[in-house]
Amino acid sequence: MTPAPSPTPAVTWTDRLAPRRWLGPVTLLGPAGVWLLVLLVLPTLLILEISLVPGLRLGQPSGGYGLGNYLQILQPVYLRVIGRSVAFAVGSTALCLLLGFPVAYWLALMSPQRWRNLLLVAFILPLWTSSLLRAYAWTTILRPSGVLNAMLAAIGLPAQNWLNTPTAVFIGLTYSFLPYMVLILYASLEKLDTRLLEAAADLGATPRQSFWKITVPQTLPGIAAASLLVFISTLSDFVVPTLLGGASSMNISRLIYNQFLGPTRAWGFGSALSMVLILAVSLAIALLIRYGDRNTITEA
Amino acid sequence: MPVPGTRLQTPSFSRRSAVSRRRFLQGSAAVVASLAATNCRQNLAGPPAGGGANDGTLRIYTWANYTDDGLAQAFTERTGIPVVIDIYDSNEVMLTRLQAGGGDAYSIIYPSDYMVSEMLELDLLTELDQSLLTGLENLRAQWSNPAYDPNNAHSIPFCWGTTGLLYNREASPGEPIDWNFLWDNQAKLSRRITMLDDMRETLGATLKSMGYSYNSNNPAEIEAAYNRLLELRPHIAAFKTTGFENELLSGDLSVSMAYSSDAIALTLEDDRMQYIIPASGASLWTDTLAIPATAPNVDAAYQWINFLLEPEVASAAVERLFFATANQAAFDLLPADIQNNADLYPSDEILAKSEGIVAVDTASTDLFDQFWTEVTSA
Repeated sequence: MTPAPSPTPAVTWTDRLAPRRWLGPVTLLGPAGVWLLVLLVLPTLLILEISLVPGLRLGQPSGGYGLGNYLQILQPVYLRVIGRSVAFAVGSTALCLLLGFPVAYWLALMSPQRWRNLLLVAFILPLWTSSLLRAYAWTTILRPSGVLNAMLAAIGLPAQNWLNTPTAVFIGLTYSFLPYMVLILYASLEKLDTRLLEAAADLGATPRQSFWKITVPQTLPGIAAASLLVFISTLSDFVVPTLLGGASSMNISRLIYNQFLGPTRAWGFGSALSMVLILAVSLAIALLIRYGDRNTITEA
Repeated sequence: MPVPGTRLQTPSFSRRSAVSRRRFLQGSAAVVASLAATNCRQNLAGPPAGGGANDGTLRIYTWANYTDDGLAQAFTERTGIPVVIDIYDSNEVMLTRLQAGGGDAYSIIYPSDYMVSEMLELDLLTELDQSLLTGLENLRAQWSNPAYDPNNAHSIPFCWGTTGLLYNREASPGEPIDWNFLWDNQAKLSRRITMLDDMRETLGATLKSMGYSYNSNNPAEIEAAYNRLLELRPHIAAFKTTGFENELLSGDLSVSMAYSSDAIALTLEDDRMQYIIPASGASLWTDTLAIPATAPNVDAAYQWINFLLEPEVASAAVERLFFATANQAAFDLLPADIQNNADLYPSDEILAKSEGIVAVDTASTDLFDQFWTEVTSA
C-alpha cells in the first residue's frame, strides 16, 4: 500500500531555497566579493593602465601607451634597488627563522603549561604598538650615542655605527616580523605528534635524528607559511628601511613612494614598479598555496 | 562492526583537520601580508581624505612650523570658525594629494614659489578677489609683483627664508662657510651629514657649489652636479627634510642641510647649534597662502588670509614660530633682537648672491628627475 501523497507537502525553508542554489554562495561571498572587486581588482587594473603610459606626470598630456616604464626598471640602478629589497627580505626571513624556531619550540613543547598563554601574549605584546613607533625606538638604540653603544662600552666591546646602514635595516626588519614567525611556528609545533618522538627515541634515534626526521618534516608547512609571510612583508616594508636605513637602503617600496609623493612624480614608473612588486608577492602567495597542496597529496 | 568504522574515521578526520589548519595558515599569511602592506601607507599618509565636508570648519594644509594652537584659537575666537590643521613636508606631497582627489579637502594651502607657478599651469589655484583682501599694503615691496605669480593674483606671500647649513659646533670638524665644506671634509663627516629630501634644493645647492645656477638648464652642468653629489653620497647619512634635530643635538650628526625656518628655531634653543647661509649663495624661498580652485568654505579662507595680514597677529606668530615674515608692518612691530637676527633676515650682500628656485624647462626637469632618482637609489 502506497501512502497517498499529502496534498500540501511540508515545504521547509531549505527546500524553498533549493531551486536557487546560487543564492547561498552569492549571499555569503557577495559582500567580500564586492569589497575585493572595488578595493583590490579595480585599483590594480588602474595601476596596470597607468604603468603602461611612459613618462606620465599627473596634469600633463601623455604620449600614449607603451612599455617604457617597464624598460626603465631594467636599468642597473633600479635592478640594484630590486636586488637590495630581495636581499633585505631573504636575510631578515632567515634571521627570523633562526631566532624564531627555538623560541617557538620552547614555547610549544618545553615551557611550563600554566605560563604558556601568558608567555605567548608577552611575545606578541610589541605588536600592540605602531610599527612606526617601534622603528623610531630603534633609531635611539642604534645611533652612535645610543643605548647599544652604551651597553657595548659597559662590557668592553668596540662601539658600532649601524644607524643608516643595511645592518640597521636587517635588525629592524627581524625585530618587527619575529612575532609573526613565532606565532605561526608555535601553532605548527603545538600540533606536533609527540608520540612519534617517543617512538623514535625508543627505537634508538638520537635527538638530532628525531629532530631532522620527525619534528622538521612535520612542521614544514608551518615553516613555509611563516617564512613566506615574513618574506612578503619584509619585501614590501617601507617604515623600517626609511627610518633605519637612511640613504643606504633605497628599496622598492621607498622607490615607489618617491615616484608618487616625491619630487619626480613619475606615476607611470611608480605604477610599473608597483606591478612588479604585486607580481612578486603574488608569486610568493602562489608558492605558499601550491606547496600546501602538494603536501596534502603526499599525505593522502 | 562499529569498531573498525571508528578506527577508519578517526585518522581521516584528523588528517582533514590538519589540512584545514594548513589552509588556515596560508589564508592568514595572505591576510596579514596584505594588512602589513596597507599598514605602512596608513602610518605615513598624514591627513584623512577630507571628502570636502563643507561643515563650516576651516581646513588648512600647511608646513609644520607655520601655525600653532595659539594662532588657530585666536582665529576661532575672532570669527567663530573652527580650524583643522594638517601638515605636509614637501610641496610635492601637497600637490599630489590635491591632484589625487583631495582638491576639495582644504580651504587654505601654503605652496612655495615654484609650486605656485606649477599649480597655476595646472589651474589648481583660485584667482584671488582683491576686493575681499585687507592689509595687502603691509607686504614688503619686493613681493608686490613676484615672478612666480605676477601681481599676487593667486597667492599672498606669507613668509620667506633661505636654505643653508645647520651644524653642531661641538660635533663639526670646523665652521662651515660655504657648501664646499661638505666635500672638503667628507671623510671626517662620513655618515654625519643629512641633505634635504628635496630634489631642486639638494641638486641646486650642488650646482651652486660649482658656481652654477640653481635653475640651470644646461645638461652638462646638471650632469656635473649629479656626479659631484654622487661623490658625496656614501657620506650622506640620510636625505631628510625633518627629523634630523635630535641627532644633531646629540652630536650623532654634524651638519644638516636645512630650511632657515626650521634651523633658526633650533639655534635659539641650543647655543651649540649654528646656521649659516653659504657664502656662494643659497636658495631664497617664499611660502605663500593660496586657495585651491575647488576649495570649500572660501569665505573662511579669505578671513584666514586677512587675519594673517594683520601686523599684530603676524608679528605675534613670528615671535613664537621664528619664520621671516613677508609683512613689513609686522616686521616693524618685532623686538630688535629678532629684527637684527641675521639668520632670519640676512644681509643684502648675501641676498644678492642667492636665487629663488623657478621652474626649469621640460628637458631639464627630466634630467633633474632622472639624476635625483639615481642618486637616492644608488
